[in-house]
Amino acid sequence: MILSIEELSIAGRDRTIVDSVSLAVREGEFMALVGQSGSGKSLLSQAVGRLLPPNLHASGRILFEGSDLLERGPREMRALRGSRISYIFQDYQGAFTPFRSIGGHFDEYQKVHGETSKFVRRAKAAEALESVGLDAALLRRYPFQLSGGQLQRAAIATALLLSPRLLIADEATTALDSVSAHRVLELLARKQAETGCAILFITHDWRHVRRYANRLSVMQEGRIVESGGKHRILDHPQHEYTRKLIEAAPVLGRSLKSGLEEERP
Amino acid sequence: MKSLPLRAPFAPKKKKHGWQASIAALFALLAVAASAYAFLYLKHDPSLTDLRGRLLGASALHPLGTDHLGRDVLTRLLLGGVQTIGYSLLALGAALIIGIPFGLLAGYKRGWVDKLFMRIADGFLAFPDTIVAIVLSGLLGAGIGNLVLAIVIVKWVSYARLVRSTVLSESQKDYIRIARTNGLSDIRIMTKHLLPHIAGHVLVLVSLDLGKIILLISSLSYIGLGAQPPTPEWGTMLNDSRPYFQSRPELMVYPGLAIVSVVLLANMLGDYLRDRFDVKKEVQP
Repeated sequence: MILSIEELSIAGRDRTIVDSVSLAVREGEFMALVGQSGSGKSLLSQAVGRLLPPNLHASGRILFEGSDLLERGPREMRALRGSRISYIFQDYQGAFTPFRSIGGHFDEYQKVHGETSKFVRRAKAAEALESVGLDAALLRRYPFQLSGGQLQRAAIATALLLSPRLLIADEATTALDSVSAHRVLELLARKQAETGCAILFITHDWRHVRRYANRLSVMQEGRIVESGGKHRILDHPQHEYTRKLIEAAPVLGRSLKSGLEEERP
Repeated sequence: MKSLPLRAPFAPKKKKHGWQASIAALFALLAVAASAYAFLYLKHDPSLTDLRGRLLGASALHPLGTDHLGRDVLTRLLLGGVQTIGYSLLALGAALIIGIPFGLLAGYKRGWVDKLFMRIADGFLAFPDTIVAIVLSGLLGAGIGNLVLAIVIVKWVSYARLVRSTVLSESQKDYIRIARTNGLSDIRIMTKHLLPHIAGHVLVLVSLDLGKIILLISSLSYIGLGAQPPTPEWGTMLNDSRPYFQSRPELMVYPGLAIVSVVLLANMLGDYLRDRFDVKKEVQP
């Protein structure tokens, strides 16, 4: 169990947005957290990195590799973020600071996480870019000189740069068309197979995750209504809300209503 | 992988205030040439009085004549410019040093820090600059140092507010969020990822403010709250030559022209920079 969220509640001044949610991500698995906009799934993911806005307060326990993140100090959290836990977000266009080169970003992230040799930093950055199928020459470029697809890959490369144990993808495919979304998922799945990092994939549209996720959790209005293996949830939903969500995204021409292949033992 | 050209895509700039920049540059060049002339050839002591040679007309030795104490007007005018502009820049610099970190922190931290900082700023904003200058001179005595202090007290607020508004909108963007999720410290994000963003906006406001501050220093010196005689300062020079307006009006015209042209220059530069950096909303001249 790499990440285990126990009874986590997130509350503002006058209302509770996430209500005692428990969720577990196992080592090396692809876990999808599904729920409609406003169900609190993004806040949940921000709480893991202790990145909540200052007016929100999280209580409960977030165990990462066995220790509670809510008890860590800011310095420890900074050391953890980017190196052990990293994030990718929806907006690739704005993923890089506009006036710094792509290489500058790679260099800075390694520097703050203690890589002192400039030579090693440069080599690692080039390696990271090449591993997502980009030319290392892009390191010298500025974000506006890259195409959307290149930025997207470069952003994933920065997230995976320091081989994190947990990658949180917050609506990472939401702004993309189907083909690009599948390309990103393909890339994530491949990198996962290579590095063995766990992925917590947050989305409101599970057509994207059907093929890649191992397990699913469904979230509604700040609570988890159902979790389990994807076959169990997609083909035998227990909760009314899950059933509705599945019906809202019908699939054509496959044997099961989930659109998955028949499971062969 | 097809490699893209490394050059930034070239878009022709709208040259709206280009001619103003040229005139400003020309004027600055002229001022530098005149200063060099004064330093290299005239070598007058700006506070050396010569009562036998008072109120002289223009001559090769005194290109703009002498004042009521026989001091060389051109030398005093040029050194006065150094004084006025120097103190304006000093006041601006101090306002920036206070205002930028204040605004950065308020905009980045939000929450109660922001509320506290902005209420403090509102408090300072309630006092008009002239009033503060007069009160401070009354309390601490007249002098250019106190005048600069008064200007800093009044001016830092506008920088803090400008920086805050830019940082507020900028720190909502994903690249700041990603910098945080990648473990960068707040200080690093503020200095390396946010500060360069506000530089353009601040530069525009500085150049627009420069004219106003020069005017303020000169006008307060004119009424005797700023630089004290015999310091060569344009406002003080105006005041000194007031009794001789009937006989030698040009003694008042020279410093007046100098003030007008430098303020005009600063404003033109500000207009040009505003267009150049494409700053529209935040900076109100």
